[in-house]
Amino acid sequence: MEIVEAAAAFLAWAGASLVVLSDGRRGLALGLAVLTAGFAVLALANGLQIGAVAVAAGGGIAAWQCWRSPSAMWGIMPAGSTPRLVLSIGSGLVGLWVAAAVTNGPGAAMRFAILVVLGLMGARVLSSSELHVVLAGIAGLALALGAAPALDVLTDGTVPDIAGGLIAAGVMALPRSGHVHGNSEPHKRAT
Amino acid sequence: MGTCTETPNRTNVQLELLAATAATLVLAVVLAPLRVARASLLTWGVAGLLGMAAIALAPTFDLVLLIVLVLAVLQARLASRRDFATRVRGPVLAVGLLAIGLAFVRVDAPVVLERFGAVGIVAGLVAALGIFPFIHEFDPEESVVASPIPWIAFIGPLFAVTVISWARQVVAADARDAFGAVLIGLGLINVAWGSVASWRTESDAAAWRYSFMADWGLALCGFGMAISDGMAAALVLLVSVVLGRLPLYLWSRQALREKKPAERPINLLIAALLAGSAPFAGFAARVLLLRGATQLYWPLALVLALTMLMWLPASLRLGRSMGMPRGRQAVGVAIVLALNVLLGLYPQPLLRLAGL
Repeated sequence: MEIVEAAAAFLAWAGASLVVLSDGRRGLALGLAVLTAGFAVLALANGLQIGAVAVAAGGGIAAWQCWRSPSAMWGIMPAGSTPRLVLSIGSGLVGLWVAAAVTNGPGAAMRFAILVVLGLMGARVLSSSELHVVLAGIAGLALALGAAPALDVLTDGTVPDIAGGLIAAGVMALPRSGHVHGNSEPHKRAT
Repeated sequence: MGTCTETPNRTNVQLELLAATAATLVLAVVLAPLRVARASLLTWGVAGLLGMAAIALAPTFDLVLLIVLVLAVLQARLASRRDFATRVRGPVLAVGLLAIGLAFVRVDAPVVLERFGAVGIVAGLVAALGIFPFIHEFDPEESVVASPIPWIAFIGPLFAVTVISWARQVVAADARDAFGAVLIGLGLINVAWGSVASWRTESDAAAWRYSFMADWGLALCGFGMAISDGMAAALVLLVSVVLGRLPLYLWSRQALREKKPAERPINLLIAALLAGSAPFAGFAARVLLLRGATQLYWPLALVLALTMLMWLPASLRLGRSMGMPRGRQAVGVAIVLALNVLLGLYPQPLLRLAGL
């Protein structure tokens, strides 16, 4: 079981790294799908069958929404993405050190997956101004937040897993209109 | 009011803040100037209230963070000159920091990591509110519902009480000193930064935003003290932010746009309310805070007393920026003044219900 959990945690890190390294929608979709698979297996390994289904469904819908977007491209590791590559590898190493060496007790794989995905998704949202990239980052963050109660043995993680899956799917389904450009204030103001 | 270390009743405090926020929304919608789109204000205000109720009812802190993420995304989708990524950045940073901080305090780890976790939780809270050092980008022309003001003055108070309450449950005893110290340190910085910036900044709208930061600085100091006087001060301050500063800011926006400052007696009264003078609620909160700080470490009380003097020039400026309230606004200002006098003279029911 430990090997399965370790593999799932590695999948979660690999998926989050793909989201960080991709600018194109297909690359982001692949990253979300891999990340989702990792968290779904981790939820299953923790005995949360319903949670695992919710994570798989929510993350799967998010990845599908991203994949089927018009003018989707892969855009994995475009020119100038070396700092992002360093971030992905560096965060993986730091996460591994914290989860396996600094902290104690069972569940090192879950600790690694949660810490590294939270860090990478947060960094992705903060570093990009592209709407589809930010939404993919938020979807990944929601999945990691849904999995976080597994760090606490006293907390049941099913409801957060379901909420995380719903938010991941819902965020990617938002309409893609950007923002109001220029001085186009409506006549009536919200206040 | 006791003086020992006490934990307030979280549910009752949340209920009080929810009621105060709902009352402010009613005041804002009913007494808004004619140009204001009431339907939009009501719709988004009710959405915010529902989000706050969900935060209060959430059985785990992880669900609170997910709710905040939803609120952030929904607010960032509103039409604005600032793009989606810019507006969602602050709340997402907050959620990330809170989640990582929470993970550090949950796992079996050395004390130093738990202290990092406590610092992460405070940093996340500050990032959600949009106060120093994570000040959200502010556009004075933006509508209030799409601006950072809901985070600092509408959802923020209830969210802060929820975060502090959960944190006191999960942060280990060894890391609580770090938690309190960071709250007080950031509180003092925000008091100084907010009051000076509110006085010196060029834009009147930005001055209002900085004044919220200054109030939050005092509230963070109160939370950081972790004694009942400090908690009581923080609660009274937060209620006065919701029932005083926020509606006054909403009604000042028309005068700010028309650039019609005024220096009437009513403007002096508003300035007194904003400065926390007697008999308004801010005065009671400041007395409680100074009393708590004296019990904890008297030099802190001295520093706080000195920083409280910096409210005066900024408040006079903000009072003038309100212009001459007329019609509905005058009624609203009168109600807000009366509520804050009541809260300042007799805060006991509020504090008793909160278990303080």
